[in-house]
Amino acid sequence: MTDTLARPDLLLLSMILAPWVGAVLAGLLPRYARNGAAALSWVVALVGLVSAILLYPNITDGPVRHEIRWMPSLGIDFVLRLDGLSWLFSVLVLGIGALVVLYARYYMSPKDPVPRFFAYLLAFMGAMQGVVMAGNLVQLAIFWELTSLFSFLLIGYWYNNQLARDGARMALTVTAAGGLCLLIGVLLLGHIAGSYDLDVVLGAGDQIKRSPLYLPMLVFVLLGAFTKSAQFPFHFWLPRAMAAPTPVSAYLHSATMVKAGIFLMMRLWPVLAGTEEWYAIVGTAGILTLLIGAYAAIFQHDLKGLLAYSTISHLGLITLLLGLGTPLGFVAALFHTLNHATFKASLFMAAGIIDHETGTRDLRRLSGLRKAMPITATLAIVAAAAMAGVPLLNGFLSKEMFLAEAVSNPRDYDRNLLLPVLATLASTFAVLYSLRFIHQTFFGPPAQDLPSTPHEPPHWMRFPIELLVLICVVVGIIPGLTIGPFLATGVQSVLGEATPYYSLAVWHGFNLPLLMSLVALAGGTVLYVLFRRPINTNPHGGPRLFRPFDGVRIFDGVMNGLTAASERGASVFGTNRLQPQLRNIILVMLLAAVLAALPFWSGLGANGFTLTPPDPGFVVLWLLGIGCALIAAWQAKYHRLAAVVMLGGAGLASCISFVWLSAPDLATTQLLVEVVTTVLLLLGLRWLPKRQDAIHIPPSEQRRAKARRVSDLLVAIAFGAFTAAIAFRVMTMPAAPDGIGRFFLEHAYEQGGGRNVVNVLLVDFRALDTLGEISVLGLVGLTVFALLLRFRPGADSLSAPEQQRVQRASDERHETRQPGDTLQDTMLVPRVVMQWLFPVIVLFAVHLFLRGHDEPGGGFAAGIAMSIAFILQYMASGTRWVEDRLRIRPLKWVALGLGIATLTGMGSWIFGYPFLTSWFRYAELPVLGRVPLPSAILFDIGVFGLVVGSTVLVLIALAHQSLRKPRDRAPAHPPAPPLEEVV
Amino acid sequence: MLPDLRSSIALASPELFLAIAAMVLLMIGVSVGRKATLLVTSLAIVALAVAAVWVAGFSHDGAAFGGMFVMDSFARFAKVLALAGSAATLLMGYNFIRAARFDTIEFPVLIVLCTLGMMVMISAGDMLALYMGLELQSLAIYVLAASNRDSLRSTEAGLKYFVLGALSSGMLLYGISLVYGYTGNTSFAAIAQALAADQRQLGLVFGLVFVLAGLAFKISAVPFHMWTPDVYEGAPTPVTAFMAAAPKMAAIALTVRVTMDAFEPIAADWRQIVIFISIASMALGSFAAIGQRNIKRLMAYSSIGHMGFVLVGLAANSQEGVRGVALYMLIYLVMTLGTFAFIMSMRRTTGHVENTDELSGLASTNPVMATVMTLLMFSLAGIPPLAGFWAKWYVFLAAINAQLYTLAVIGVLTSVVGAYYYLRVIKIMWFDEPVGGFLPMSGELRAVLGFSGAFILLYIVFGGPIGRVASAAAASFF
Repeated sequence: MTDTLARPDLLLLSMILAPWVGAVLAGLLPRYARNGAAALSWVVALVGLVSAILLYPNITDGPVRHEIRWMPSLGIDFVLRLDGLSWLFSVLVLGIGALVVLYARYYMSPKDPVPRFFAYLLAFMGAMQGVVMAGNLVQLAIFWELTSLFSFLLIGYWYNNQLARDGARMALTVTAAGGLCLLIGVLLLGHIAGSYDLDVVLGAGDQIKRSPLYLPMLVFVLLGAFTKSAQFPFHFWLPRAMAAPTPVSAYLHSATMVKAGIFLMMRLWPVLAGTEEWYAIVGTAGILTLLIGAYAAIFQHDLKGLLAYSTISHLGLITLLLGLGTPLGFVAALFHTLNHATFKASLFMAAGIIDHETGTRDLRRLSGLRKAMPITATLAIVAAAAMAGVPLLNGFLSKEMFLAEAVSNPRDYDRNLLLPVLATLASTFAVLYSLRFIHQTFFGPPAQDLPSTPHEPPHWMRFPIELLVLICVVVGIIPGLTIGPFLATGVQSVLGEATPYYSLAVWHGFNLPLLMSLVALAGGTVLYVLFRRPINTNPHGGPRLFRPFDGVRIFDGVMNGLTAASERGASVFGTNRLQPQLRNIILVMLLAAVLAALPFWSGLGANGFTLTPPDPGFVVLWLLGIGCALIAAWQAKYHRLAAVVMLGGAGLASCISFVWLSAPDLATTQLLVEVVTTVLLLLGLRWLPKRQDAIHIPPSEQRRAKARRVSDLLVAIAFGAFTAAIAFRVMTMPAAPDGIGRFFLEHAYEQGGGRNVVNVLLVDFRALDTLGEISVLGLVGLTVFALLLRFRPGADSLSAPEQQRVQRASDERHETRQPGDTLQDTMLVPRVVMQWLFPVIVLFAVHLFLRGHDEPGGGFAAGIAMSIAFILQYMASGTRWVEDRLRIRPLKWVALGLGIATLTGMGSWIFGYPFLTSWFRYAELPVLGRVPLPSAILFDIGVFGLVVGSTVLVLIALAHQSLRKPRDRAPAHPPAPPLEEVV
Repeated sequence: MLPDLRSSIALASPELFLAIAAMVLLMIGVSVGRKATLLVTSLAIVALAVAAVWVAGFSHDGAAFGGMFVMDSFARFAKVLALAGSAATLLMGYNFIRAARFDTIEFPVLIVLCTLGMMVMISAGDMLALYMGLELQSLAIYVLAASNRDSLRSTEAGLKYFVLGALSSGMLLYGISLVYGYTGNTSFAAIAQALAADQRQLGLVFGLVFVLAGLAFKISAVPFHMWTPDVYEGAPTPVTAFMAAAPKMAAIALTVRVTMDAFEPIAADWRQIVIFISIASMALGSFAAIGQRNIKRLMAYSSIGHMGFVLVGLAANSQEGVRGVALYMLIYLVMTLGTFAFIMSMRRTTGHVENTDELSGLASTNPVMATVMTLLMFSLAGIPPLAGFWAKWYVFLAAINAQLYTLAVIGVLTSVVGAYYYLRVIKIMWFDEPVGGFLPMSGELRAVLGFSGAFILLYIVFGGPIGRVASAAAASFF
C-alpha cells in the first residue's frame, strides 16, 4: 500500500470535489474559451478517474467511508461512501465523462458559450458523483435533484430552440417531481430503519420488509427511480430531451443520469427486493418499458429518437432483471448496465458525428454513408451490433444472461411461457431497429441532397467512439479477464453472502437462451426485410398503436387540464367580492361548530328551562321593534333614510324595554344616544351618493340582484334571531348566587358612595375602563373632524335637496318674496321653540349630571343631553346663525374633559393611593340641599366635557359641509369661516 | 409590587423602547412634515435594529406582568426574525413609496407599531396580551394596506382586509371568552392547568375552534385565506412584502405558543384542526396558484401553501415539530423577502409591472436578476439543496416521526404540484422570447435579493448551527 492509499479520504473527496471546483472555474472562464474549458474539464474528469482507480484496492473488501459533521441536530452527516457498486458507477460517470468532454470540444460550435456548457456538464458530473457516493439517504436525495437541475440546464442549453425548451421543461417537471417523491420515500425508509445512514439502512432489510409502511415507501422510492430512468409510464420525457446537444444525450441519456434510477434500485436492492410487491411493480414496469421502447424505436425516423427509445427499452430490460429479485438477475442487470453504457454512448456520439457532418438526423434522408466516412461507419456498425446482441460483443453476453433468467425465472409459475416469449420478442425488435439504423444510414446509394457534404470527423472527435467500441469488443470476447473482477466486486458489495455462481464465458453450449438469441437475430432480419418499406414511409415517425397512450400528449393534457381546472376552480370557489367572502367564513365556522359539537350531542339540551307567559304589551313592543329592524335591514341598500328611521324605531323599542324591565338609567342613556346618533347619521347621509336610477339593469341581473337582496335579508334575520336567542337565554337564566352583579349591588353605596350602581360602576369601580372609553370617544371625534376637514362632497350630492329647490322656485315666481323666504317661514315655529328650549335643556343636563350618583343620570347622559341642545340649535337656525352667536369650541371641551378625568385619577396619588381611588362625602349646598360630592364627581365632569366636546365636534364638522359650495359657482354668501377656526 | 414591576419592565424593555421610539418618530414626523420621511424611515430601521440586538444579546428569560409577557428562547428567535423582516421591508420599501408618491411619515411609524404588536404577540402568555398584540399588529396593517390612498385597488385591499379582519377578531374574542368562561382564566399556564384537571367540555372545544380560526385568519390558512390574494394584489408592493414576511412569523409563533402552552392538554383536539387546515392550505396553495398570472397573487397562494407546510410541523406536536416550524419560518422569511425584492424591481420606464408574462426572457436581458430569482423559485418549490428544501425536510421529518404519514405524503404530493408553477416562472424567464429588460435594481433591493440568494444557496453549509439555535428555541416548550 502506498502513502496515498493510507489516506483514502482525500481521494474520496477529490472524486466528488474535483467536478464541482471545475464547474465553478469553468463558469468563470471567458465566453469563448473553448479549449481552456475543455482542457479544464478533461483534467477534472481524469483527476476523478485516477483517484477512483487508486482507490480500487481499498474497496475490494468493503466500503470506504469518510464522514464530515454536517447537521448533527438532524442526525445527518455528510458521508462519502465508496464500495464496489458505487465504484463501477463512478468509473462510468468519470470515464465516459472524460470521453464526452473530448467529444464535445469538437462538437460544440465556437459561437456557443462553451465554458457555460462545460460548467453545467461538470456540475452534473459532480451531482452524479454525489448520488453514487452518497453515504446517507438524504444526501442521495439532494444530489438526485441536483442531477435533474443540471440536466435541465444542459437540455435547455440551446434555449433559442423551441424543442429544447419544451424538452427541458418536461424533463425537469417529470424528474423533479419524481425526486420529491423519492424524498418522501427516503423519509419513510429512514424512519423505518431508524437512521438515514446507508450502512444502517442496508443492515435493516428484514425490519424494512416487515414494516407496514413498506408498500407506501416502496411506491415513493420507485416513483423516483422510474421517473429518472424513464420507465413506463414516465418514459416520454426522454425522447423529448433529445433536443439537447448530442454530447449531453450521450452522457446523460445513455450512460449516467438515466442510470441513476437503476443505481438506486441496485443500491437498495438488498433491502427492498424479493417481495411480491417489488416483483409486481418493478417487473411489470420493466417488461412494459422493454417492449414499448423497443417497438417504438423501430418507427423513429430521427436517429437520436431511435436511440432514445432503444435506451428506454434497455433500461426496461435492466429494470425487469432487477424486478425478478433473483441474485443472478441482479448480476445480469449490473453487467448489462455497464455494457449498455459503452455501446449506447458510442452510438450517440456516432449519431452526433453524422448529424454534425451531414446536417440531418433523418433516417429517410441518410443513405450510403459508409463511403464517405468508412471508419465511423465501421465503429457504429459494431456498436449497433452490440446493441442488437450479436455474439462476440458485450451486448450479447448480458443479453444471454437476461434470456437465461427469463427462462429460469422460478417465480413465474403461471406465466412460464410468457416471459421468455416476450423477452425473445423484445430482442427481435432490438435486432430490427439496430439493423434499420445501420442499413438506412450506411448502406444503399450515397445520399444526394444532404445539407452538407459528409466526410470523416477530426480524429480526436472519433477517438472516444473508438475507445468505447474497443471495450465492447474486448469485453465481448474475453469478459472474464477484463470486466470480470470489477463486476465481481460490484456484485459482492451488494449481494455479499448471497453472491451466486455465474459464468462470464462466451460459450455456454447449445441451450435455450442461445436458441432464443438466434431466433431473435433471424426474426429481426426477416422482419426488417419484410417491413422495411412501410416503416420508412410511415409519415408519423411512430407506431399508430400507441397514439392514444402517447406520454407527451398525456403530459401536455395533464398540464393544460391542471391549469384549466385551477382557473375554473378559482372562478367557481374563489371570489373577489367581500360579501361572499364574509359569508363563506361564517358558514365554515358554523360547520366547524357543528362538527365540534357532534361528539357532545347527547349532552346537549339537558338543562331545559321553563317559559313563563310574557306580558302581551311587552310582546307587542318587541314585535314592533323586530318589525322596525326587519324593515331597516330590507331598506338598508336602497333607501338609507328609511333604514335609519327604522333603526331609530328599533332603538326606541329597546329603550322602552329597559324602562319596562326597571332600568330607567339605561333607558335615559339609550334614548339620548339614539337621538344623537340618528341625527348625526342623517346629517352624514346627506353627503352620500344617491342611487343612480339612470343605470339600466338588464332583467337577468335584476333577478340576481333581487335574489341577493333576499339572501342578505335572510342573513340579517338569522343573525338578529341568533343574537336575540342568546340574549333571551342569558336573561332567562337564573341569576348566579355568587355572580358579579350582586357584589356591585351590595358594595356600590359603601365603597362608591352612590346608589346608582351603573354610574358608580362607570366612575368608580370601573373608572379606568371609562377613562379608556372616553379617550376613544375623543379620538373618534377628532378623527371625524380630521377626515371631514378637507372633504368635498361628491358632485351628485352638491345640489340643494329637492324640497329646497321647490321652495326656491316658488320664491322666485312671486315677485314679493326673496329666495329663502319660504324656508324661513317653514322653520319659524320650530326655530322659536328650539331657541327657547336651549336653556331648558342645559338645565336638564345639569340636573342629570348632579343627580347621577344616586339616581338615573350621570356625566355621560348629561353630556349627551347637552349636545342635543347644540344640535337643536344647529338644526333650527342653521350653521351661520348659530356660529354668529355661539362659539362652542368643542376641541377645548374634549381636551378639558380628558384632562380633568385624568387629573382626578392622578389626584389620588397625592394622598398615596393608587390611580383613580375615589373619596366621597355629601355637601349641604344652598338651594340645592344635600348633594353628594365624591371625588368621582370630578371625574364625571371630565366625562361630561368630553362627551359634549366629541359629539359637537362631529356635528360641526358635518354641519360645515352644507356651507361648502362647488368652486365654480359664485358664492351667494360670504365664504364660511374655515372649519379650523370655528372649533 | 414595585420590584416586580421593575423586573417586568426590564424584561419587556425592547418592546417599551420600540413603543417610545414609535411615538418619538411620530412626533418628529408630525412636526417636520412630509420631508422627514427619509429621516423617520432611517431612524425606524435603526430602532428596529437596536431592538433586534437588544432582544438577541441582552435579554434574559422570564415572565413579566404576572405571566402576561413571556420571554424565552423561542420568543427571542421569533422576535429577531420579525424585527429583521420589518427592517428589511422598510429598507426595501422607501424608494418604492417615494416613487409612488405616498411617502408619508406614517408609513415607517406604522411598521414600527406593527412590529411592536408582533413582539407582544410572540411573547404573549395570556389571552389578553395575545389579543392586544394581534390587534395592534392588524390595525397597523389595515392602514398600511390602504396607504396608497389614491389607488382604488389599495383602498379596496385595506377595506377588505379590515372588514374580514374584524370578523376574525370577533371570532377570536368569542373563542377567548368561551375559554375564559370554561376555565376561569386567561393566562395560558392557568388554562393548561384547568384543562388538565377537568374533563373536556363542549364549550371549550368551541372556544378552541374559534381561537384557532382567528389565528388561522392571521396566517391566511385555508379556509380563512380568501382575503389573501386580493389584499396581496391590491396593497402596495412593499406592504405586501411586509405582510407576507414578519407578521406571518409572529402569527405562527403565537399559534405555536397557544397550542403548545395553553391547549397542550387537549392536543388531540387541536391537532385534528391543525391537520385539516394544513392539508387544505397545502392543496389550495398548490392548485390555485397554477392559474395565476399576477405575480403578487401567485405569491399570495404560495404563502397560503407555505403556511400549510409550516402547520405540518405544528401538527407533529413535538420538539422536532416546533423546531421545524421555527426553521421553516426563518427560511420562508428570507425567501419571501428576496422574492419581493425582485418583484419590486420589476420596473420599466413605464412603471412597475406585476404580470408573470413580463418576465419573459429575463435571463437574457437581466441575467443576474433572473439567476437569483431562479434560485428563489427553486427554493420555494423545495428543490434540494436549497434552503427551501430543508424547510420542508424538517417539517416532514417531524410529521413522519410523529406517525403522521398521510399528512407527510399529502404534503410532498402538493409540493410536487406546487413545483409546477414555480418552474413555470423559471421557464418564462429562461425560455420565452425577451420582451425587454427591467431598469437596474436599486442598491437596497440588490442587497436584499443578494442576501436572500446567498442564504438559500449556502444554507446547506451553515444549516447545522442554525438548526441548533432552532432546537434550543423549540426546547422552550418541552
